[in-house]
Amino acid sequence: MSEGPATASGPTAPAIEGIKLSRAFGGVQALAGASFSARRGEVHALVGENGAGKSTLIKILGGRLRADAGEVRLAGGTVELDSPDAAHRHGVWTVFQELTLLPWMTVAENLLIRREPRGAFRLIDRARMAKEADAVLAGLGIHNIDPRGLVEDLSLAQQQIVEIVRVIVQDPDILLLDEPTSSLGENEVEWLFGLIRDLSSRNKCIIFTSHRWKEITDVADRITIFRNGGELGTFTEIDENRAVTLMTGQQVDALYPERPALEAARPLLEARALNGPGVSGVSLTLRRGEILGVGGLAGHGHRELFFSLFGAAPTTGGEILVNESKVRISNPHDAIGLGIALVPEDRKTEGLILPMSVGTNLTLAILPQLSALGVIRGGHEGRAALNMVGKLKIRTPGLRNPVHQLSGGNQQKVLLARWLLADSHIVLLYDVTRGVDVATKHEIYELMTSLAREGRAVLFYSSDAEELAHLSHRVLVMREGRIAAELAAPGITAEDIVSAAVREATSIVG
Amino acid sequence: MTGKTPFAQFPDRIGLTRSVRRIVYVYLAAIVVFAVGQVVHPGFARLDSIAAILTVASFVGLVAAGQTFVVLIGGIDLSVPWVLNAAAILLVTSSLGQDGRAVYALLLTLGMGAAAGLVNGVIIAYLGVPAVVVTLAMNGIMEGLTLGLSGGMTCDSCASYAPPFVQDAVHGNLFGIPTALILWVVVIAGVSFVLSFTTFGRKTYAIGNNAKASYLAGVNVRLVTMLLYALSGFFAALAGILLVGFGGQASLGMGDPYLFQSIAAVVIGGVYVLGGRGHYLGTAAGAVTLVALVSVLMAMNMPDYGRNIIYGIVILILLLLYGREEKQE
Repeated sequence: MSEGPATASGPTAPAIEGIKLSRAFGGVQALAGASFSARRGEVHALVGENGAGKSTLIKILGGRLRADAGEVRLAGGTVELDSPDAAHRHGVWTVFQELTLLPWMTVAENLLIRREPRGAFRLIDRARMAKEADAVLAGLGIHNIDPRGLVEDLSLAQQQIVEIVRVIVQDPDILLLDEPTSSLGENEVEWLFGLIRDLSSRNKCIIFTSHRWKEITDVADRITIFRNGGELGTFTEIDENRAVTLMTGQQVDALYPERPALEAARPLLEARALNGPGVSGVSLTLRRGEILGVGGLAGHGHRELFFSLFGAAPTTGGEILVNESKVRISNPHDAIGLGIALVPEDRKTEGLILPMSVGTNLTLAILPQLSALGVIRGGHEGRAALNMVGKLKIRTPGLRNPVHQLSGGNQQKVLLARWLLADSHIVLLYDVTRGVDVATKHEIYELMTSLAREGRAVLFYSSDAEELAHLSHRVLVMREGRIAAELAAPGITAEDIVSAAVREATSIVG
Repeated sequence: MTGKTPFAQFPDRIGLTRSVRRIVYVYLAAIVVFAVGQVVHPGFARLDSIAAILTVASFVGLVAAGQTFVVLIGGIDLSVPWVLNAAAILLVTSSLGQDGRAVYALLLTLGMGAAAGLVNGVIIAYLGVPAVVVTLAMNGIMEGLTLGLSGGMTCDSCASYAPPFVQDAVHGNLFGIPTALILWVVVIAGVSFVLSFTTFGRKTYAIGNNAKASYLAGVNVRLVTMLLYALSGFFAALAGILLVGFGGQASLGMGDPYLFQSIAAVVIGGVYVLGGRGHYLGTAAGAVTLVALVSVLMAMNMPDYGRNIIYGIVILILLLLYGREEKQE
């Protein structure tokens, strides 16, 4: 049921409003006169494709960005939120998508920053600080995070939880969360939603973004849909198909493409009893035309496995075979030469070189092929890059624009295109759809299946069990660095994957 | 939109366009300095005076070529002064002032510079020791080696002159242009070409912007890092050769001014000190501006301390301007 565009009012004045907000980055209009409002006591979800303007809106409401035009109102009055600090003074706190913790300080120091308990001579009382942090974490039902440990040593999920806790302890009136669940497992998501429900029952206002539809309908009271920097309406109930149609402006038929038929083909990549930090005795066989999924809870050796297959993490034992012959992979350069590609999880720090151009990012792995005597042949390079931009429908103003100007989904496509250019036959995809919108996810799925159909082999890890279940020919579930279970299609379900993963495994919260 | 972007000028947009604007600023700054010089000291902007200033700038510019390479990957080379000094002394002691030994001495000297840089690079790239520490240590080691082996410049061969061939080459001119300047122009062209049009240059920028992502894209980060430091050592040695050719004899401490000046030229030239952005064309302009400024201040009989203060202020102002520009982008 639609309430129409959110022009607000009603008996309760909106807790927070954005009126005709606009903001441009370079030539890209991220927000174009978008309006939005949320009430006290409600959980409000912002949905839309990457680049629709959700994160920009959150940043403006949280005082981290200034709008080029438009205003922000709190409880009906216009406010000037020109810094995060100003927002904090108004009770508006944000959990940003990228982590803002200080990695070389302890969890306790991060949680209690600027509120450290003082002892003699006003010096920081470290013992009391750890105790207070302990109490805070325990009070929120978090175990297995040591307040005395360094943030750097925590897993991504644990860091995200500390990030959330750090804001929760400030007792916000209005809580903004930008994709808080993208690095969390199912248990942690449940924990977060419990927290959110508790806050809303205490008449706080919670605004969050997510790409996972199930989570949105689980916890949100109202949903505002964004497209191309503008809001399309606020809804209390809307089904997924309708929402996706609104978000993308087009019908997405089946989200998951058909699995390509699998013939008894020769193995392209094999690992035999692979050992290394975080990986114990992993054996796997990846065949031509196969999509092999890898699942399990975060922090159970997937990353180490993928990185050691790509030569970017050390191995201490076992062997790797490509095309049925034993190979030595001591760095990514070797791996690329053997036709192996890796798309890492964090495209912003490990995948792309953000300040450099789309073209440079596309061709970085195949520079030798595009050059003669070490001199890059500009024409060759341009044609190769343009070809890929067209083939993968990468939305960019041009090849020379810095890649950071592109939306997340298009950045991900640039990375995939890099490896298509390198003509890699073994494609390792590490959680490539995390934080990517539905329409781009669909395109990535299509791409994965077409890779397999062309006779390449895809090994992919995903934190989304649903995705693994629908796309993989087989799924290997990892637990504590080992392969704990192997599931084969047809008949793989997300529940099977999750239950194989959590059996005996410990979780961060609970 | 996606289809028809002109792509002919691929050096990276970040590598160049922003730098192009900065380089223009720096050249304008150089012109302003010459104009001010002409006002306070008529005759300052005469052709022969400009040629003399550019020749002095070429020594700074050569050292700064190596410094540019390493700063582009977020590094620094503090070993420049004594690699340069050692090179100057090695040239005279190995050639004994004889033309017959000049080629051998030149190769030996350039090889020594590159080798010292290579050792820096190996330790930085493979052992992961910060560049500041490694190159500072190398500067000390080169100083010690130079002093020890030359007996504090008391050795018999230490008083030798640079081979006449080298001296003539540095003092000579081609069509009225000093040879040192011509060599510098060749280096400017070569280094700029490497940075803009080769895979090596592209990898240098990639590493400077994000070493981890470059590594995962198959870039041999260690090898490139090593070579960049070797180049820095090579250019410091080349500058040492030119200096000793220019002055005739080597002396202790002759490299000392070149650490500050090479870094200043890089910074004035708009190379981002944390790496990834900038170009040698900017550094070259920075070297000219810096040396012209010093000359103006000398022409005004500004005492040493005053010159240093003005140095510092100019660098601060430029960094502030660049910082503002960065924010606007």
